[in-house]
Amino acid sequence: MISTRHRAVIEFVLDHLVWFILIAVVALFSFTVPSYFQIGIFANIVEQSTFVATLAIGLSLLIIAGYMDLSVESVMALAAMVIGILFAKSGVGLGLTLTPAWLIVPVSLAIALAVGAVVGASNAFFVVRLKMNAFIVTLAAYIWGRGLVVALSGGRSAQELPAELRFLAIERFLSVPLIAWVSIAATLAFAFILNKTPFGRHLLLVGGNATAAYRAGIRVDRLTATTFVLAGAIAGLAGWLLAIRTSGATANLGVGMLFQTFAAVVIGGVSLKGGVGSLTGVYAGVLLLASIQTAINLMGMPAHFTQLIQGGMVLVAVLLDTVKIAIRKKLA
Amino acid sequence: MSDTTPLLRLDGIRKNFGAIEALKGISFDIGRGEVVALLGDNGAGKSTLVKIISGGQEPSAGRMIYEGREVSFSSPAEAKAAGIETVYQDLSLCTNVDVVANFFMGREIVKRYFGIPVLQEKEMEAATAKAISDAGTRIPSLRTNVEHLSGGQRQAIELNRFVHWGGKLVLLDEPFAALGVEQTRRGLEMIKKIAAQGIGVVIITHIMAQAFQVADRIVVIRQGIVAGDVRADDTTADKVVRMITGEALRPSPATPAEAR
Repeated sequence: MISTRHRAVIEFVLDHLVWFILIAVVALFSFTVPSYFQIGIFANIVEQSTFVATLAIGLSLLIIAGYMDLSVESVMALAAMVIGILFAKSGVGLGLTLTPAWLIVPVSLAIALAVGAVVGASNAFFVVRLKMNAFIVTLAAYIWGRGLVVALSGGRSAQELPAELRFLAIERFLSVPLIAWVSIAATLAFAFILNKTPFGRHLLLVGGNATAAYRAGIRVDRLTATTFVLAGAIAGLAGWLLAIRTSGATANLGVGMLFQTFAAVVIGGVSLKGGVGSLTGVYAGVLLLASIQTAINLMGMPAHFTQLIQGGMVLVAVLLDTVKIAIRKKLA
Repeated sequence: MSDTTPLLRLDGIRKNFGAIEALKGISFDIGRGEVVALLGDNGAGKSTLVKIISGGQEPSAGRMIYEGREVSFSSPAEAKAAGIETVYQDLSLCTNVDVVANFFMGREIVKRYFGIPVLQEKEMEAATAKAISDAGTRIPSLRTNVEHLSGGQRQAIELNRFVHWGGKLVLLDEPFAALGVEQTRRGLEMIKKIAAQGIGVVIITHIMAQAFQVADRIVVIRQGIVAGDVRADDTTADKVVRMITGEALRPSPATPAEAR
């Protein structure tokens, strides 16, 4: 029998394993990769992580509830393109202006969130009301969402968002641009919701055993629908941030981010079976992927090494999960 | 303990699954503070009946009169709101969260800060600890995920959960299947205590001795109909077995009309 304190330490390490791995990996790179250990590099890792980290919030919530959302990447691109078309000054942009000019920040944010929420609501309708498989429904949305982006833009791009929006990508606080802080704040806010509110608790319960949750009087359908809408809106937020960062949108904006997001979510400790995961862990997973990518860039290795390593890491993450479960079983 | 209006009256409850008639018109009463043991062979329709009363399934026909009012529950949440608690045969626990989260499933204690409901973990843990120790169950850590607990501990959590929440009517579908001798004894005592508070109890069991130990009345279901409804004092295990197997399937004089 192990002491309570001993057990608490082990539990803590297991719960935050990905953070320990992140620290170890960053330390390793700092010693071995020349010019890796710099504030500028670390700030860049955080900045790079902005979009995947934001997408990962919504995806994690849905996976924790026992569902799947493949549409987040396309929803992000769609929201970015809508913002680009409405507010960018050149390309396909209409260059709308508002008075006073700063109004563009809340208005464009609201539009991006609404675009995401609408796609999320459509996913929710098919999954919850028509009882269709979430994997297929969101795969369809992934495809038609991207198609809609191309159709809306005619395959062209929108450039030059006004300075009132751009400052979010340019101004820095502690060397990190404001858009990255937005994604960190969103992560913390949803981590709080997941851990400390009944909504978050119910997500875990539904992901663990939907029948038991239903019998306990939890309105499973409403919860699921809300989560799909939320995941869509959060993808809309990612699109808003991405449009600001790139000062507009292109038809192929963010292609491939879905798989990075999935990798980060799994590495961050979210179980694809549902019912298990923490958002701070997922954020660490995103940082871990970005750290490795940065190291590979600095070493001058070809970019496809990143993919090889990231693929391997997903496998290791799943393996680690099995080990963690085995250790926990011994603790109980 | 004979109240004029029963707590729950089932009147001609039928349930079809496609062409299969699981229940072919079930009628009996459950009084306040009365323990009714529901017996029957496998597949007789006991679990289906429990699911109908608890709102998990809707009957194809028939009426439920609860506290003098006709009711129909379209979800467990509605039945629960009306004061009907259920312990299911296949346990209703979420093994991915800890004991406290399971104990308060769907009824978490929250405190609002700026309108945002925040879970009160300490309060919930204290209440869970009290309920578990009152029942004499030992669980090493309430913060352990339920997946690491034994079958007996899991069942104990479920039983303690319904005792804690009370209600007006309690449905127990084979509640002691995974319990040891001592825990079962405590469980049976618990049922008597609950009934003494005026709560109606329906318990499904396969074990005749348990039924006689705890029940005021025994209702036997056979092939979707009530094959017997007798006071536990007025019958014997042998007679009940014959009702279950159908050897003595006859219009019994001790039908509900007389029992009332």
